[in-house]
Amino acid sequence: MSGSGGRSAVGPLGAAALPDEAYLVGVASIPGVGPATIRAELAERSPEEAWTRLRARPGSPVDLAALWTRHLEAGVLVVGRGHAAYPAALRDDLEPPEVLFCRGDLGALDRRRVGVVGTRRGSRYGLDVATQLGERLGAAGVAVVSGLALGVDGAVHRGLFRSGGGPPVGVVGSGLDVVYPGGHRDLWRRVGEEGLLLSEMPLGVRPTRWSFPARNRIIAGLSEVVVVVESAQKGGSLYTADEALARDRPLFAVPGPITSKAAKGTNRLIADGAMPLCAVDDVLLALGLSSPTGSSAPIPEPGGPPGRVLDACAHESVTLQTLVDRSGLTLPEVAGAIDELCRTGWLAESAGRYERTTPR
Amino acid sequence: MLASITSACLLGIDGHAVRVEVHITSGLPGFTIVGLPDAACREARDRVRAAVTNSGFDFPNRKITVNLAPSSLRKAGSGLDLAMAVGVMVASEQVPGAGIDGMAFFGELGLDGSLRPVRGMVSLVDASPVDIVVVPAAAYAEATVYGRHEVRGARRLVAVVEAPRGDEPWPDPPEPAEPAPPVGPVVVRDLADVRGQAAARSALEVAAAGGHHLLMVGPPGAGKTMLASRLPGLLPPLGIDEAVAVARIRSAVGEPLGVGELTTTPPFRAPHHTASPVALTGGGSGLLRPGEVSRASHGVLFLDEMGEFAPAVLDALRQPLEDGVIRITRAQAAATFPAQFLLVGAMNPCPCGEAGPDGCTCSDGERSRYRRRLSGPLVDRFDLRVDVQRPTPDELLRGEPGESTAEVAARVREARQRAAARGVACNARIPRRRLDELCPVTPETELVLEGALAGGRLSARGLDRVRRVSRTLADLQGHDGPAGVEHVRMALILRAQPLVAA
Repeated sequence: MSGSGGRSAVGPLGAAALPDEAYLVGVASIPGVGPATIRAELAERSPEEAWTRLRARPGSPVDLAALWTRHLEAGVLVVGRGHAAYPAALRDDLEPPEVLFCRGDLGALDRRRVGVVGTRRGSRYGLDVATQLGERLGAAGVAVVSGLALGVDGAVHRGLFRSGGGPPVGVVGSGLDVVYPGGHRDLWRRVGEEGLLLSEMPLGVRPTRWSFPARNRIIAGLSEVVVVVESAQKGGSLYTADEALARDRPLFAVPGPITSKAAKGTNRLIADGAMPLCAVDDVLLALGLSSPTGSSAPIPEPGGPPGRVLDACAHESVTLQTLVDRSGLTLPEVAGAIDELCRTGWLAESAGRYERTTPR
Repeated sequence: MLASITSACLLGIDGHAVRVEVHITSGLPGFTIVGLPDAACREARDRVRAAVTNSGFDFPNRKITVNLAPSSLRKAGSGLDLAMAVGVMVASEQVPGAGIDGMAFFGELGLDGSLRPVRGMVSLVDASPVDIVVVPAAAYAEATVYGRHEVRGARRLVAVVEAPRGDEPWPDPPEPAEPAPPVGPVVVRDLADVRGQAAARSALEVAAAGGHHLLMVGPPGAGKTMLASRLPGLLPPLGIDEAVAVARIRSAVGEPLGVGELTTTPPFRAPHHTASPVALTGGGSGLLRPGEVSRASHGVLFLDEMGEFAPAVLDALRQPLEDGVIRITRAQAAATFPAQFLLVGAMNPCPCGEAGPDGCTCSDGERSRYRRRLSGPLVDRFDLRVDVQRPTPDELLRGEPGESTAEVAARVREARQRAAARGVACNARIPRRRLDELCPVTPETELVLEGALAGGRLSARGLDRVRRVSRTLADLQGHDGPAGVEHVRMALILRAQPLVAA
């Protein structure tokens, strides 16, 4: 499982016999040494020389061989720029990562690739769209690249799993063993098993504030097309959008209600030139793929009292009282309408609020 | 000489009969009290001596021993003063023993011989095995609550002993200072004051009719406290047993009862969120004072800002919610107090007060920590939940007043009567084994419930709750048969759900 980029490892794993990747791991494990420093160092010297120069810094790993063994035993593939398996998409990138830590199948990157990102605190609408995107792309055999964060990132991969297609590609901003957020432990595991899990950081490294923008550029770099599903006025996904534009990738943004804070960023992207995603299948068209069989003809909305309640809900998260006020119906009438709508998949409720969903 | 006077002492909210025996002999002059008196009780020596002397009688300069029987029961408080003074005077033959035969004496003595009321007079009188009780005039109302005894009220020690001596007749019962307060619910807060809020009004009505615990979630200023304060007016007036039980507890806590009829308005207690667990449940060292849960018994316990209560305090509510009583055990004594209340909680949806992706400014960590404060057994207890929002300016200025308390209370009363006819105190307390009998599921409602369960709208635990609430909704409509589809649907939208979105 050891990489064979530079000098090959022959004989016992003594200090002189470690491969280039081991030195890369060492350098990347030094606190305070980030992608920029690593790139600067490797522009001038070999990984082993870089390690010798930097290892004196405080906090750097004491036993490089043990660290390397730990990665091998954890099933982590360490890939440097010179490695045969280094992703082709990143080889000519603007700021290619010098070292990548991988778990899963790098062959997943041979498929068509779409990056889907968005806010951590999405509205039901945003999560709904993200899930549908995941389902659609997965069914078409497209690899979906995302950050495995809360909200949109998690939703798109969940949709992809539901479709049974794939593969999922997750790029994270911490060591592959440091699951963030904690609730996504299962998701990380599945992505690693059924697709590819990538990081620029060695095992054991916790996420920092700069590690997320750094990983966002990798998402942009790996994708052929990037879709921002929902973003507030400030958000990490807007950074990903910038990185996509810098790499000339087609950029889609999903339009949202202008009254919604969660859509301010995405709407502004559209105003600034990103393509509005008006139908989930538009992404497939942008890739040059035709819609898979079973195209999504829109299901007609119900009428009568359920229709009035649905209109009253608009695309917000509302309370029962709001539905009563806006629909003008009595409480028992609203109760009946809500029951009907929940059953047929038009409405979902959680924690006292109701939101529109799209029935499948 | 030996005198034996009947009295009682208070433990928790119950009175225990005490026989005060006074024995005077020759020997070194002294006044000893035995029978586990607490500090206040021991101090009676000085009070009794001064009161007797200042009332114009002699305080014997001999060896006086006072035994408070039964000797193994702790005697707390100063309520035995009067009995001890009377005992001293009978034992020293200043008052004929026959004159006080068949009487019990209660009250604290002032140094000038005046008689003062003590806590728990209702229970003390209840514990007396005699026909005639002599109490301080200020406690006359409390002493007459049970109505089993002939009550004589007096203001001074002198008055107490003059009648038995034949010098003076007993003073007349005291006149009430002002006209007796009206009987029945005193409606100061009317539901009509609340504008709009159809969902919350409905929830209040269901809570009152079925005794279902209610949770209100909403931002500050939405009107949650206003709504909760309307609830006692909706509850039916207390029956005579309940009114007496409430009077007992109020008396034990030291709240003065007005002269006149017993109040039949259900109590409304709203402890502040800084209350300690003991303040809520009761206890305290030695005294065993009833807490808020007991003071709210047969009424409403309102926890405003539930998210601010200490977890230990909320945890302490579990037993009373489960059993309807609170058991307090201390090193010296144990007691069981009633704690059958309707719980109403009000809280913000998350720490910043707003909710939903548009308004909320909390971080994920803050939200999940807030949710964890109230997770588990307590939130599980709420049958009803309603999200309350701030009224719009239009509603406040131009909104029509809704139904009044009187209108809704009438429906609530009828619904409660229907429940009583089934043999349950209220629908919220229908036991599991009688659910199928009293809240049957028809084929039509089965479809609705199945759809809700399958769609994740309802959990298995929620199912029982929805059945009980549907029963209440049917009762409110005057419907005696099984709950119908419209009742189940209403119950589904009014039920409790997880606090904040995950």
